[in-house]
Amino acid sequence: MSDKLRVLAVEVEDAPNTLTKVSGAIRRRGFHVRGISVGPSRQPGRFRLTLQVDHGHAEADQVRKQLERLVEVVEVEDLTGDPVHSRELVVAKVAAAQVDDLLERGAKVIANTPEGTTVEFSGEHDEVGEFVDELHRHGIVDVARSGPVVMRRA
Amino acid sequence: MILEALEREGVEYIFGYPGGANLPIYQHLPDHPKLKHILVRHEQGAAHMADGYARACGRPGVVFATSGPGALNLVTGLCTAYMDSVPMVAITGQVVSTQVGRDAFQESDVIGATSSVTKHSYLVTRIEQLPRVIHEAFHIATTGRPGPVLIDICKDVQQAEAERVTPDRLEIPGYRLNGHVDPSVAKQAAEALSNAEQPVILAGHGVILSHAEEQLQELAEGAAVPTGTTLLGIGAFPVKHPLSLHMTGFMGTGWNLKAVQNADVLMMVGMRVDDRVTARLADYAPKVKTFIHIDIDGSEMGKNVRPHIELVADARQALTAMLPYVGPVNGNRGRWLAQIDAWREEHPLRYKRSNGALQPQDVLIDMYRRAHDEAIVVADVGQNQIWAALWWNYDRPGLFINSGGAGTMGFAFPAALGAKFARPDLPVWCVAGEGGFVMTAQELSVAVEHKLDVKVVLLNNSSLGMVRQFQDDFYGGVRSQVALTHMPDFVKLCAAYGMPARRVERFEDIGPAFDAAEKTRGPFLIDFRIDPEANVYPIVPLGKSLNEFWEAPES
Repeated sequence: MSDKLRVLAVEVEDAPNTLTKVSGAIRRRGFHVRGISVGPSRQPGRFRLTLQVDHGHAEADQVRKQLERLVEVVEVEDLTGDPVHSRELVVAKVAAAQVDDLLERGAKVIANTPEGTTVEFSGEHDEVGEFVDELHRHGIVDVARSGPVVMRRA
Repeated sequence: MILEALEREGVEYIFGYPGGANLPIYQHLPDHPKLKHILVRHEQGAAHMADGYARACGRPGVVFATSGPGALNLVTGLCTAYMDSVPMVAITGQVVSTQVGRDAFQESDVIGATSSVTKHSYLVTRIEQLPRVIHEAFHIATTGRPGPVLIDICKDVQQAEAERVTPDRLEIPGYRLNGHVDPSVAKQAAEALSNAEQPVILAGHGVILSHAEEQLQELAEGAAVPTGTTLLGIGAFPVKHPLSLHMTGFMGTGWNLKAVQNADVLMMVGMRVDDRVTARLADYAPKVKTFIHIDIDGSEMGKNVRPHIELVADARQALTAMLPYVGPVNGNRGRWLAQIDAWREEHPLRYKRSNGALQPQDVLIDMYRRAHDEAIVVADVGQNQIWAALWWNYDRPGLFINSGGAGTMGFAFPAALGAKFARPDLPVWCVAGEGGFVMTAQELSVAVEHKLDVKVVLLNNSSLGMVRQFQDDFYGGVRSQVALTHMPDFVKLCAAYGMPARRVERFEDIGPAFDAAEKTRGPFLIDFRIDPEANVYPIVPLGKSLNEFWEAPES
């Protein structure tokens, strides 16, 4: 991972403008989103974003500070460098019917059809990357990858 | 319901323009005589008037505009206010909520177009949201680091009826106010200043916004620290004070720049430390061992210059917290102050008076002589702005209003009108070039209609002077598209609006023209035909360090 990458857990209001404002703040300051995932937070009316952001020429802590300025943003946790649980999800359809070595890596079969096999796998960024490389050997029909969801270990 | 909410917020003036999507609001406006609506001639004028109003009195400026082009015409004005942290609330009409997204007549994505130039914005699609949104908008616009807030209200919501609720509680979980000053950090900062050999304080707009002028002066005097201001901080510290360094930045005074470049402790209060302040960042204040930064916006810490001591707080609270810790001043301070006096002698502000043409400084010196430290001066953008800033001569803090961050030409005239609405008790002078003035000159109607006692000092050099100066000095001397020919006869233009004006071409006529302006109640314009070759000095060539400033040639 690039040393310019910041990993943040961002609690936001569930409002129609929230995502545009977050992405606008990131674009305006010359940052670049490398990974993003969004889902409801445990609190009703709030969403939790996980962001991996390249901070470009700005100081590293500017990503957190600029996001904190947004009224829609309730809380920003900068997880960069901390011990975390980090997971990405991949769902893939491969032509092969025989997928034992994928299962050995921890994949699960979701569907088996005459056209091929659909599997799911989750893991850290690099594991998912290696898994996708492995998929190539099985003839990828389609693949969908999620952004990361990250949580501090302690 | 909208108008009732505005009354509750204590709104006195609204600067606006009606249209299809805000007709329901205007329908009820006559029922609310406490809300004085100023009908502008272009929405940009409304935004700048509200901005000038807010800067002059500290209360938020309120703007109305219709959807589509009406709202989009506000964008430059919102940006101007946003860059300079000015509290404003803009209420725009939006098409009927069920029409949103269908490219309806006069529909535009106003939230999308303005989100980068507002502190916050709301799209209101349901009537129940309104009372809370309006109350929140005023709170957000005026607290913390102030800024413009936009409320885009769908037309059907404007027409809807609902139970009147008065929001009494504010719950904005994502809005944090920084106010707490850590006394140990305040102590550290005060001691660093007191102990320094060669300290400097620079004050920005934040000092004026938080009314910290007194505390600043007390601290500067207590710790014997030379104190300058940014362009937007002008007025925060008396220019004639013995510790004054006047204006900093790439068009700042020579003695200020030398002080900054030789300082060992530099305290920056209520400022962003942008490129116009630092010139080439790598060479900024190279001898500083301790940067102290005070700003209410935590994101300013380290955005441009990484401070060693940071106080994320309101300027007045931070300075007040520092005052008790000002200790015995470093014994070598006398030498530093003497050095600064020597630099002040060595690099005075000066201008060329040799060629017989009318010099802008001649005009401004006379204008400031009449201001008696109390008039509000609103400047436009360009050479006129820097001349007005550098020749500012107030003995005590005062108000100098200009578009510093955005650098919006056409700002001064409508902003001066807004300032006069806010402070009818004070004289208001508007200094502008002819280029900027014609960008918003349609607001002459407003000046005349409301008999606003605003005096316009037009520094007319028949060209875009600052651009011409940059072309001459930094772009190979190629004068490209800077001659402003075919401009109106400004005396006749004013006459067409029913406003007195005068043209001045000779030095001897400056005084009598100002006499006539001061004798006139209501707006007055003086078209000063100044030397078209007059330049702004000092100036740091683009891309160079503050050390490399050029001075005016000796006359």
